[in-house]
Amino acid sequence: MKSKFLALLGSAVLSAGVAQAGGFQANLQGQKQLGMGHAGTGLALDQSSIFFNPGALAHLRQNGIQLGVSALNAKIAYREPSPGISESATDNPISTPFQVYASFGKEDSPLRFGIGVYTPFGSSVNWGTRWQGRYGLNELTLKTIFIQPTISYRITDKLGLGAGFIYSTGSVNLQRSIPLADANYNEAGVELDGAASGFGFNLGVFFQPTEKLSLGLTYRSKVEMEVKEGDVTFRLPTSPLVAGQFQATQFDASLPMPANITLGIGFKPTEALTFAVDVQRVQWSAYKSLRFDYNAGIRGETFSESPRNYEDVFIYRVGAQYKLSEIFTIRAGAYYDNSPVQEGYLTPETPDSDSRGVSGGLTLALSDKVDLDASFLYINKKERTDDASKSGGVAGTFKSVAYIPGVGINYKF
Amino acid sequence: MKNIFYRLGAAALLSTAFLFSGCEPEFEEDITLSKGPLDFSKYVAVGNSLTAGYQDNGLYLEGQIFSYPNILANQFSFVGGGAFAQPLFTNEQRNGSGYLRLGGFSSTGAPILAPVTTNLAVRTDVPALPGGRRLTKFTGAIQNWGVPGISVLASAVPQYGGVNPYFERLLADAEVGQVSYVQKVVSTQPTFFSLWLGNNDVLGYATAGGVVDPANPFGGITPAATFNAIYSQLAAGLSRNKAAKGIVATIPDVRSVPFFTTVGPTFRAGLPAAVTAVVALTKSGANRTVIAKNDIRVGSSGTALFTLTSTAYLGLLGQPTGRYWRDQAKAKFPADAAAMDQELKRLLQNYQLDTTKMFGLSGENPLPSALVLDADEQAEIQAATTEYNTIIRNAATANDLAVFDAFTFFNSIQTPYNMNGVTYSPAFITGNLFSLDGVHPTPRGYAIIANEMIKEINRKYNSTVPTIDVTQFRAVLIP
Repeated sequence: MKSKFLALLGSAVLSAGVAQAGGFQANLQGQKQLGMGHAGTGLALDQSSIFFNPGALAHLRQNGIQLGVSALNAKIAYREPSPGISESATDNPISTPFQVYASFGKEDSPLRFGIGVYTPFGSSVNWGTRWQGRYGLNELTLKTIFIQPTISYRITDKLGLGAGFIYSTGSVNLQRSIPLADANYNEAGVELDGAASGFGFNLGVFFQPTEKLSLGLTYRSKVEMEVKEGDVTFRLPTSPLVAGQFQATQFDASLPMPANITLGIGFKPTEALTFAVDVQRVQWSAYKSLRFDYNAGIRGETFSESPRNYEDVFIYRVGAQYKLSEIFTIRAGAYYDNSPVQEGYLTPETPDSDSRGVSGGLTLALSDKVDLDASFLYINKKERTDDASKSGGVAGTFKSVAYIPGVGINYKF
Repeated sequence: MKNIFYRLGAAALLSTAFLFSGCEPEFEEDITLSKGPLDFSKYVAVGNSLTAGYQDNGLYLEGQIFSYPNILANQFSFVGGGAFAQPLFTNEQRNGSGYLRLGGFSSTGAPILAPVTTNLAVRTDVPALPGGRRLTKFTGAIQNWGVPGISVLASAVPQYGGVNPYFERLLADAEVGQVSYVQKVVSTQPTFFSLWLGNNDVLGYATAGGVVDPANPFGGITPAATFNAIYSQLAAGLSRNKAAKGIVATIPDVRSVPFFTTVGPTFRAGLPAAVTAVVALTKSGANRTVIAKNDIRVGSSGTALFTLTSTAYLGLLGQPTGRYWRDQAKAKFPADAAAMDQELKRLLQNYQLDTTKMFGLSGENPLPSALVLDADEQAEIQAATTEYNTIIRNAATANDLAVFDAFTFFNSIQTPYNMNGVTYSPAFITGNLFSLDGVHPTPRGYAIIANEMIKEINRKYNSTVPTIDVTQFRAVLIP
């Protein structure tokens, strides 16, 4: 069985998702939770507690391993400010955020160890090289993979604590056109490409005062993703005078993956029915500006910086699951996510706005040891018009939707 | 309890099916366009080089295609506009009159402009006109009547068809020298028109540095009364008592174009400390004027402007040279050494020059007037421009026409600004707005102008003609 899991893991494309929460956070970390509007901080559902609430891990009856993957298909449309009528749409590749969780520990021990590998932040936006905003962005791919060894301790049957250390690895690739055309009308461009890494932690408390009620509180720290000596590649007219203006070959950058504080409540009125409510605070205000430092001048400047000034936001999630039979469980949920992007700061890399997600899911228990999860999440972001006057972005109206089917497999031992 | 969830499950399945089919993001409002009270079925453009699509010191096919009237017509087509016929050069003769391209940069970073001399529409089978070599005739229907070089003054003169090769090109042989430009364009009876004329009533004088060539009756500043008489007649003739609507454009401040603003600052910065002033001829006569170093305009400081064409001679400052005058004589008599010599003597006599003295620094060998636009010359130009623009606005009011205030627009772009991640400024080559002649816009610049006109048309007539994505048009091509 284990070898099959490994095969599955190998075949999964290791890429993170498009920004499908506010900003570039991709809240797609558990197939069961995805079926319930991604709520579940107050529940001990399965090994995905390593992400959702390390404090709940030790309350799981069994050890297990879980693999899940989502197919994220997001589309963004753009319309230039009136009375212009030009429209563009992204041609984003389908990205595949994934999650792998495993927990270990003796059955009668209050201590559990776990490891999680998941992709909580990412973005993949491709506007192409012809659209009106191409001097702002052609294409952005941001990938992060968080690796989180975790320890969880069940203090009593009612209380659990957990902590995980996060090592994050990833990459960023940004391409934009430069408003310079050569004699054959080929437009100039620049590509920034680099590997990134960072550190952080994930803390959780799980409290179950009664059989019917459970609570969770987690703090996932900010992870500062640092890029050192990434590559800068220019595509320019051949005139030496032009080349002399674009001398950078390497860049450094730092992008904050913001901290999250989440309070979750689980409620079980009957044995078969579970409700989950999460309130998530995302400390986006850590994202002040997007700054690239270069090793040599670009038009005389050794850095470029554009303000972002994101603001902290709340995300509200509700979901429910109902166990129809021993083998079949269904789920439904929804969430509302406020955009961290303030007025005047909209950018084509994350043309964000308040978004609404609805989801459904199911679990099929094949045996005592194996069950399959499936989920489907539809996200509809509000249409948003912005003059982008403060971010140096692209003025106009943006509208995004995403549909995200996902599957997972659990093996309990 | 169970029933509710069964129903919920069914609803979820249904909505899932719906979501898959409706997965494209859609805007809440459809685009609504309206022509308002306007009839774009026959749009006619009246004007000069700007209207023709002239750029890079020439008229050629690419410039014609990206002329602002053609862009306007394209946008009018969204609201019922008809076909728009332009007197295009053929692909075989696509380089038209010839033009300048950017060949590269010198070691000091100065642009090297190279003339394009292939695939021209220049005729060698017939004698040249006073305004230059004739061009291949265009015989089809014409709605873009842009004629490079034409002024309001010239537009009323029937003989002008025998002077200006760009006008002659558009006329049947029998019409040449017989039909004035005004007669020709008024007879087209458009349903909508644009009229941007008058720049050359001051521009010729300005770009010649305030020099009037006695052989050219259109080289001076047109008297305001004459301008008024002709312009009013032209606007009324096109309007046909408000039967046709349209847009007129004012005349930009010629001092705002890179042709005048590029060279001065570099020249001033490069002057040796010991040089506190230069001497130049002023206007058309032999009078000298002294220009103090800090009177050379840099940004908003100083007044005197140096033309783009002065670059070739300013490096000779302080040397005993008569190269400018030799070049003038040579240009006039390229093949006749004796005549050239005669002409040079005449010039030196005329302007009382001693070319053994220090060029530009001595009263005996001043800078030629044609290279410098001094304060007195600018005052004349400014006064005329102001008068013309009043006349243009009055004509618009009288005929219920929209106004594109090019004067205000070209002054507004003096301050660099950013649009869609591109910085625009009046800087030569790098400013994205002006072509290699420093006077005429790039295709991008023309597209920006077309959008400004559309906004004024929409404002005046409550129409919703769409603007165009200007990033799809090129600026200066960099080798």
